[in-house]
Amino acid sequence: MKLLAQTNRIYLGFSLVVYLLTALAFYQISRLLIYDEVESRLRVEKQDFEAYARTHNAWASSPYFVENKIEITPVPGPVQPGEAFVDTLIYNHYDNEMTPFRQLTFFTPIHGQLYRVEIRKSLIQTYRLIEVITVTMVLFLGLLLLGMFWFQSRLSGRLWLPFYDTLSRVKAFDLRQGSPLQLHPSSITEFSELNDVLTKMADKMQHDYQGLKEFTENASHEMQTPLALINAKVEQLIQSSQLTENQSDWIDGIYQASRRMARLNQGLLLLAKIDNGQFGDTHTVDLTAELMQRLTDMDEVITHKQLTVSSDLREPFRGQLPPFLADSLVTNLISNAIRHNQSGGAIHVCSSAETLALSNTGFAPVTDPGTLFDRFKKGAANAESVGLGLAIVRQICHSYELGVDYQYQSGIHTLTLTRQFAGTERVNGMGIAAS
Amino acid sequence: MKVLVVEDELGLAEGITDYMVKEGYVCETADTFQKADEKIHLYEYDCIIVDLTLPDGNGFQLVETLKRLASTTGIIIISARNALEDKLKGLEIGSDDYLTKPFHLSELNARVKSLLRRRQFGGHTEIRFRELTVVPHARTVFVNGQPTALSRKEYDLLLYFLSNTDVALTKASIAEHLWGDNIDSADSFDMVYSHIKNLRRKLLDKGAADYVQSIYGIGYKFGQP
Repeated sequence: MKLLAQTNRIYLGFSLVVYLLTALAFYQISRLLIYDEVESRLRVEKQDFEAYARTHNAWASSPYFVENKIEITPVPGPVQPGEAFVDTLIYNHYDNEMTPFRQLTFFTPIHGQLYRVEIRKSLIQTYRLIEVITVTMVLFLGLLLLGMFWFQSRLSGRLWLPFYDTLSRVKAFDLRQGSPLQLHPSSITEFSELNDVLTKMADKMQHDYQGLKEFTENASHEMQTPLALINAKVEQLIQSSQLTENQSDWIDGIYQASRRMARLNQGLLLLAKIDNGQFGDTHTVDLTAELMQRLTDMDEVITHKQLTVSSDLREPFRGQLPPFLADSLVTNLISNAIRHNQSGGAIHVCSSAETLALSNTGFAPVTDPGTLFDRFKKGAANAESVGLGLAIVRQICHSYELGVDYQYQSGIHTLTLTRQFAGTERVNGMGIAAS
Repeated sequence: MKVLVVEDELGLAEGITDYMVKEGYVCETADTFQKADEKIHLYEYDCIIVDLTLPDGNGFQLVETLKRLASTTGIIIISARNALEDKLKGLEIGSDDYLTKPFHLSELNARVKSLLRRRQFGGHTEIRFRELTVVPHARTVFVNGQPTALSRKEYDLLLYFLSNTDVALTKASIAEHLWGDNIDSADSFDMVYSHIKNLRRKLLDKGAADYVQSIYGIGYKFGQP
């Protein structure tokens, strides 16, 4: 939920409660005041009545008194003196309806006879008053509430504008593009501080990223050049014809080691680059087709190792990744399947829209399959491999929303690529298939 | 044939120069951007081998300058940077080839030769070695004037040998030349062996001398028996 919606909701709830309470209190207070007024008038009338009764020692129903205004009933026997106010409804002959009255009941002796006297005052005016007051109150308070609410939302919308601007800019910010994070200055201290902090952070990140990139490149350069030098010198050395067998072996050893190191270096640099996401634009790549193409390219090695290739291609498996990495991915998978295969073995490709599985025959794994994707883990004693192939496969998969899984079952090793976000990806894939 | 090697790592520059001189080229070196810039303004070269990262400048600039001055000079970039963007940029601004370090001198030599062939005679030239004749643009091979059918890899192999005659070639450099980097040495060495065996047999069948010698522990040499 948006911050503004949230604050508005809280604000609305709170003011509603406060306004209701206020309205209730107002109602009660005006009611109390009106009752107080009516009752004090009734008391005055009571005094008038008593004074009248005392002077005249009699009571005559005077026509002056309107209907229901006063009612006198003789009471037999002694009753505790006292007075009481009650609300009562009395039938009104003119309006044909019950009207509310406030009634004061007291006892007074007239002519030696005890009478119960009930003086009433109509509350109908009072009720109307209260109604009008209440309606007016509710109306005005409601208007005020709405007005405040509207004003508040407009104001906060305007106040938070720089924040939303910052947010959208930070969202659009891409570390890989060289342009720095540009934020509009804000007159509000908190926002301008936030912008400052964000700009600083983005600058630092960009600086570090740049540094890392440069380091990667420099490390590559610094390592490859000495390696090139070793290679060149070895090549010069082997041109001399007076080498003994031993010397040839040593030279071969140096040569192999330097080549291994070059491969290792290139593998590590590739991993670092994938880590840093330095490969830029992704495309939809048909990995099944790439894999089959690469298998055709490697035809010679496959024939050489007398491997049989079979495939079960139902639907192409597609991934979103940079083409260079797609190539690296399938190359590593196939190299792996060939390297760890046995002479006369088989390679099987199974492809569907959701999975791409590459199986190969081979000896049972000697290492824990769980660590197979770790760097420098080698399945078997194989001096050639540097142990980075599967680490690169995993790194590429992790970076581009693919899952990779290894299984070994009765002499068959299977590496399976899957989509990690099947739902969204499927829609994507179908869209492409349709277009 | 005049070749300029622009490389700041002196040992490597020396290695390249020695190899090139042996191949019969006139070779000069420049270890800084400044010197290289001076040389390309003063002299004309048939080919220039340029490193991208120089202590006082960028190899790309040299390539650009050279393209302006003498567009017929062949340019090969040698770089430690294996980035695709660099390769594309290099080719875009007019270099003819891009080689990532570490490379084999024999590979560099083969590429220089192929480049010069393409540049100077539009590729319409024949390579002759005693009774062998190779016509690169038609990819055909003749032994004593008789056409000899070779497989694609055998042809590539022969051309590589002919570019590096009388030079000891490592098995690894041959394998890499034929299959690139993505192949296991153990397999590729066997494959190199079988290709060489076949090539040798085919050439011998047509009456050529046996030029391929195997060098213990190292590789092969193509040259006078």
